[in-house]
Amino acid sequence: MTIMERSEEQVRPGGGEDAENAFALIIQEHQRLVYGVALRLTGSAAEADDITQETFLAAWKHLGGFRGDSSLKTWLVRIAVNKARSYWRWKKLRRWACLGGGDEDEPALEDLLPDDPAGRPEQAAQAADLERRIRSAISTLPHRQREVAAMRAQELSIAEIASALGMAEGTVKAHWFEARKKLESLLGDVL
Amino acid sequence: MNEEKEMKLLSLMAVGRSDGFWLRQRNHILARTSVSGRGAGRWLLVPAAALAAMLLFVARHRPEAPVHEVQKVEISFLENLDLLSDMDVLESIPEDKI
Repeated sequence: MTIMERSEEQVRPGGGEDAENAFALIIQEHQRLVYGVALRLTGSAAEADDITQETFLAAWKHLGGFRGDSSLKTWLVRIAVNKARSYWRWKKLRRWACLGGGDEDEPALEDLLPDDPAGRPEQAAQAADLERRIRSAISTLPHRQREVAAMRAQELSIAEIASALGMAEGTVKAHWFEARKKLESLLGDVL
Repeated sequence: MNEEKEMKLLSLMAVGRSDGFWLRQRNHILARTSVSGRGAGRWLLVPAAALAAMLLFVARHRPEAPVHEVQKVEISFLENLDLLSDMDVLESIPEDKI
């Protein structure tokens, strides 16, 4: 039994320090995946950070009810996707109520720059520009295709994506095929 | 799209952050879980419990008033919001089992 499997068994809210240590391991193991999916779905670093935190808090709260029909990994991704869907609905509602315009959707430069820009300023600017293009290209995809693409980008297999989204594997493959075609047409010069 | 291009696309879409970022995020989540898990703020429930008891007492000792339709809707709306939040954590049912 791996450390992760053991920690997944031990962790329960109210289970004391052991449970918290085990949960810390789970966060460490999956936070990159959850954050990556959330960032590609929302296109906003701040929202992705919020969704990541809310995902793990929801998992912590509901671990007792986790039946284990899916893996912990796909369950966490599913929670993150549901939270991202709520974010889209909220955004749509804000737009409908004229509370949020288009300007706030444009990511700030510091949001696009790498955390630790080691290279020259020009390289950092190029990286930021490329990141802006990637986010813009992903944002043109229909929601389902975007979800599949976001998960593929985090190295989830077709089977894992199918499990997380409750889709047949063939449906996932079809969405990924369409998404790839669109992304290639938008980002072809850098591929 | 050939395999090489697909790999390049996936690597462009991958998300990288510094170790410091992950550590900060992990500590933030753990701080929030330990607050909710250990019940550090349970004493905050005391005033709420007192208020609930008082409301119950008042409700029991006053004549029954008809519940307004608007009030009913508001309560069910709030219950639905709670349900929606809990639905985020439901595991998926594969398409072929539906």
